[in-house]
Amino acid sequence: MDTLKVRDAADVEQVVRAAIASEQALEIIGHGSKRQVGQPMATNALLDLSALNAVTSYEPNELIITVQAGAPMADVLSLIDSRNQQFAFEPVNTAALLGTPDIGTIGGMIGAGLAGPRRIKAGGVRDHLLGAHAVSGFGDSFKAGGKVVKNVTGYDLCKLLTGSWGTLAVMTEVTLKVMPRPESECTLLLRGLDDLAANRAMTAALGSPFDVSGAAHVPNPALCASADGLASLESPQQTVTLLRLEGFAASVAHRAAALGQALAPFGTADVVDDAASAAVWASIRDVKPFAANGALGARPVWRIVCPPASGGALGQQLSRETGGEVIYDWGGGLIWAALPPQPDARATLVRQRVDAAGGHATLLRAPEDVRRNVDVFHPQQAGLAALGERVRLSFDPKHILNRGRIRRVAST
Amino acid sequence: MTIMMPASDQEVLARREAIVAALRAIVPGEGVIDSPAEMLPYESDALMAYRQPPMVVVLPDTTEQVSKVLKYCFDEGIKVVPRGSGTSLSGGALPLADGVLLGLGKFKRIREIDFDNRAVVVEPGVTNLAISQAVAHRGFYYAPDPSSQIACSIGGNVAENSGGVHCLKYGMTTNNVLGCEIVLISGEVIRIGGKSPETDGYDLMGIITGSEGLLGVVTEVTVRILQKPETARALMVGFAQVEAAGQCVADIIGAGIIPGGMEMMDKPAIHAAEAFVHAGYPLDVEALLIIELDGPGVEVDELIKRVEAIALRCGSTICQISKSEQERNLFWAGRKAAFPAVGRISPDYLCMDGTIPRGALPRALARIRDLSEKYGLGVANVFHAGDGNLHPLILYDANKPGEMDKAEAFGADILRCCVEFGGVLTGEHGVGVEKRDLMPDMFSEIDLNQQQRLKCAFDAQGLLNPGKVFPTLHRCAELGRVHVHGGRLAFPDIPRF
Repeated sequence: MDTLKVRDAADVEQVVRAAIASEQALEIIGHGSKRQVGQPMATNALLDLSALNAVTSYEPNELIITVQAGAPMADVLSLIDSRNQQFAFEPVNTAALLGTPDIGTIGGMIGAGLAGPRRIKAGGVRDHLLGAHAVSGFGDSFKAGGKVVKNVTGYDLCKLLTGSWGTLAVMTEVTLKVMPRPESECTLLLRGLDDLAANRAMTAALGSPFDVSGAAHVPNPALCASADGLASLESPQQTVTLLRLEGFAASVAHRAAALGQALAPFGTADVVDDAASAAVWASIRDVKPFAANGALGARPVWRIVCPPASGGALGQQLSRETGGEVIYDWGGGLIWAALPPQPDARATLVRQRVDAAGGHATLLRAPEDVRRNVDVFHPQQAGLAALGERVRLSFDPKHILNRGRIRRVAST
Repeated sequence: MTIMMPASDQEVLARREAIVAALRAIVPGEGVIDSPAEMLPYESDALMAYRQPPMVVVLPDTTEQVSKVLKYCFDEGIKVVPRGSGTSLSGGALPLADGVLLGLGKFKRIREIDFDNRAVVVEPGVTNLAISQAVAHRGFYYAPDPSSQIACSIGGNVAENSGGVHCLKYGMTTNNVLGCEIVLISGEVIRIGGKSPETDGYDLMGIITGSEGLLGVVTEVTVRILQKPETARALMVGFAQVEAAGQCVADIIGAGIIPGGMEMMDKPAIHAAEAFVHAGYPLDVEALLIIELDGPGVEVDELIKRVEAIALRCGSTICQISKSEQERNLFWAGRKAAFPAVGRISPDYLCMDGTIPRGALPRALARIRDLSEKYGLGVANVFHAGDGNLHPLILYDANKPGEMDKAEAFGADILRCCVEFGGVLTGEHGVGVEKRDLMPDMFSEIDLNQQQRLKCAFDAQGLLNPGKVFPTLHRCAELGRVHVHGGRLAFPDIPRF
């Protein structure tokens, strides 16, 4: 298969136009770190964006950064970190989970739209993408959004690009909002709660005025032992429930005490400070207990999003019915489930249970033959699915971009 | 009216009686209004310079009725303009002479309050403030707070992606809605999202929010609610130069502090507000900042100290810190009354709404001063300083011939200057009819075509709210055409591997 390494937006236009003319579908890649996610694609050539890797501008005082889509995520994260800033949505580093050497590019981060624990407080990737330049499946370079944080001019196309897995347009340059990094953080740790009690504790914490920025639960202590960051919690035979507080030091200390008191009915909370706390949340964010090189590395992994207060019951049911392992984030609103391998990754059962809870499930990790036979992304009601397809066609009528990635289609 | 609306369809107007009868069959009783006198309140929204009585007003009260009305209009080729509370500042709900005005005012129920999932399910006619009031007894609130929050509806907030004073820290509508039920022009009812933190598939909620009534009619909204901060205190800081105030704003953000709100007023705005509400604003400063910090008391106390130090370093000539809730509210009273206050010193005013990068503030204000001289019209500036959202109020007298045209030209120049300085045409009021013809100043034809293609995915006939947002409407068939350049998958100039 041809790999076409583009140098600028004009190259991208040229490649897409030629692809339209010859009716060849393109797979869009940056570093290829998330190529294993989605339905196996029916594409004829690779459009490689990794050479579009420049930081166009970084203005810390304006709280924005503009970079080319192929810019390495690791470089951009360390650049904004050097100015005590961060992406508040805490992008997931999928390298460990997917077993790739690289954490990928900014374009991939946006296309995948995977936000970490702080999503419950700061919003998702969608909430921080302010503007983009992209080439549609018409072969035209267009602009969406702007370079300021407050903007309602025209349709908010950036929302659509986020999480579209490269099926609408090829982003070439993006402007993201950055936020100050909190001065300090700590994590309250409750031990020994079952899934339902942990869900209630997290619900209480998130319904408190103490500005909780992370609420996770690991129901199987063995999962902690195998993952760095979590391993240090030393909780033999006990589940751990984690609640993060961030901000100015005095404020964090005050809220930790108050939240500990409010959660007294769930037990006495230990407090994990700064560096150890950060390591814990990196481990939750990146789903380290399910790492590809770990004990559960061969298992398919589902990413389930549901109403947070129903997460505990849903996760408990799934793990009981499948013998699988689960980890809760977002106060129960996000469940990572690693199920014993099956040809269909237990898709029918998972979807039934998740539908009943009002959520949706994505098969984020599975071998190619499994992904070929299973809907990787959650099937939608007919009307919604048809509307989504019309939206897709409005960007890419010839189905040039990442053909077949989000929905199974007959290969051409 | 200086803006051209789509030409009326005489064939539709000729059928008016039959259309009214058909709508009465769907929405019985007083839900269909066709007498000119009774339609009067609907002939404009809060952008009152533009008026147009609709062909007929329909006020359904169930999703089923909305669906049937839209399906009827779709089948009959009749234009529809949706309307919430009519508080749009950009003419988003301006009726069409040959169009049905679809009012959602009867959708007033709060359907469900789910504290555990921190979500409230409401009908679109519920006011913004009513949501906060309904959850206040448990310490919750709905964060976006447009200044019209007593009156504006949540459906309208979704349509316009409304902001407010506190959106610097807590986001706009789009950052605080979880899902909706929407009726397409075909009458089809679609549910998007719900109480989950994220929707699945393409982020259609994100595209519907801020779509200004061009994509569908929202009949239910699920919003996210937050716990109220433990406490809030405000600083009132005056500066002898606008530049120093701008520097102060930049330095606060640069120090890693995101205030709950950070507002700026220039001298004319300060004087008008002070004369109106007697908030105790200093009259000898060029710029006044109101900075609110919220959170736990210990945090607020600490940040107040830090902000005060920054203000002094930037050369503030006065810096007062609120010592009571009453005093905090007094600091805000002047800012919140700025628009009516300006209304007292001028027969009419035009409220603009551009956003600029924060750093461009002094340049933008200097430009506005120059334009004010050029046009011979006064201007007062209030400014959501934290996020660069500028609200110049242009003072004019509509009774003086030509003055309104002059005010509009002045306003257009200000918005062009926002774009020139790296900003955008509208930060929170929407494009509507007001900024429609300026869209090409910010977007190329290709950009606008892509937005219109998206419109085609929802409403290929262009029946929903035509004449808003886009200066020229292209046919969907024409927009959907793919132009084929060249013939083979050959990329002569591109490195291959």
